[in-house]
Amino acid sequence: MRCTGDIEVRELEELAINIDPIQAGGRLTPEAMKAVIAYGDGYSVCDNCRRPFRLDAIKKPPIDAFHRDLAAFVHMDEARVMPGARRGFQAVADTYVEKGAPVLLTALSHYTSFLAIEGARGIPREIPKDAGNRITGDAAAARIEEVTREFGKPPALLFVDHFDYQFGNEHEVREIAKAAHAHDIRVLYNGAYSVGILPVDGKELGVDFVVGSGHKSMASPAPSGVLATTKEYAAEVLRTTKTRGDLTRRQFGVKEVELLGCTLMGATVMGMMASFPAVKERVNRWQEELANGKVVIDALRSIEGTVILSEYPRRHTLTRVDTRDSFDTVAQTHRKRGYFFTSALGDRGIGGVIPGATRVWKFNTYGLTKEQCGHLARAFTDIATENGIRVG
Amino acid sequence: MSRRAVDAVFQGLFTLTDIRVILRRTAPSHELSGEDREAVRRSLADLRQQVSILEEELLR
Repeated sequence: MRCTGDIEVRELEELAINIDPIQAGGRLTPEAMKAVIAYGDGYSVCDNCRRPFRLDAIKKPPIDAFHRDLAAFVHMDEARVMPGARRGFQAVADTYVEKGAPVLLTALSHYTSFLAIEGARGIPREIPKDAGNRITGDAAAARIEEVTREFGKPPALLFVDHFDYQFGNEHEVREIAKAAHAHDIRVLYNGAYSVGILPVDGKELGVDFVVGSGHKSMASPAPSGVLATTKEYAAEVLRTTKTRGDLTRRQFGVKEVELLGCTLMGATVMGMMASFPAVKERVNRWQEELANGKVVIDALRSIEGTVILSEYPRRHTLTRVDTRDSFDTVAQTHRKRGYFFTSALGDRGIGGVIPGATRVWKFNTYGLTKEQCGHLARAFTDIATENGIRVG
Repeated sequence: MSRRAVDAVFQGLFTLTDIRVILRRTAPSHELSGEDREAVRRSLADLRQQVSILEEELLR
């Protein structure tokens, strides 16, 4: 079936259980789907934009109130919607990182953190991970000392992921923030895999900036996200324009420089807003999500030769698994080679695993029902049994 | 101007969305529980009503 022309309808979510690691938390709520239908036109939220002509001041629809609610949701003072978490990284890096200044991130940081630093002409320095693929406060403290010695000044900024994209492991945010603040280093919390799926309290974590992803974890269309901060830092990162045209003498009111004025002006912000009540409620069901995921993890662990590479017990629904000594051994001789596995999953109505992957791969059970997790768990063990791999 | 027809179009799309969500939640088997079946019945009844409104408003 096609939407139009060569554009096929995307039916993956309707026809299959999708375990793609990056898509789980961004699946729309019914409310967001409806908002997208109504607000798909370009500048659709601007019908009632009045002075001071800025997105976060629009009262109808109540985008102003949504911004206040977003800040409260992550326990910070100010928030702005952004075109993805990466644009939040960029706004903070552009504000605080000078050319040649060191910036700390981690051995598990997302590439967009590196690019934000590069864009600001800073120099990235990584905090190493430990043997369990976790970033600790002690490692951060040691790296701060090293980098301060190397550059003769402390880093301008530190990026830390609450849960990383590679393993879905939880990192010592509080301890890392404490170590950074001991050297007056600002801390940016990357909540791309936390804000919107589990409770996040930026003040309690002791961070200066909370960045979240709408399309990754807030049931919102892409690109969308949030940047939240304290009153103190809001005055800097959300500073308003002071520029003036030399010929026309034009000025641009209260537009915020790092946001290039307004950010999400249609279906993206309305999708975020429409999902928000459900998102606020669903973060309280995080333990239920982990329990559903555990059924799948237990099934995989019961398959001989299969190793969960992420920390265990799991504290996130995104998991990295090593099946080189299980499913990949089947792939060596199977007529479909590496594609046997994703093909067998497809036959059982499961999608989202990279075609041909039988070695090291990731999946995410977030948002699946208990029944769907049961189906997924059975699928893994059945595929193993059918191909001569011992289960139990 | 037919506000009634416009509202019926949106209500119909929203009702179809509710059915779409049930398809997602029950994928891949689409085996519906009694509660789901009742929800689909209600949605289809509403959808028929919206189609009737559109016929009245646009084809009379």
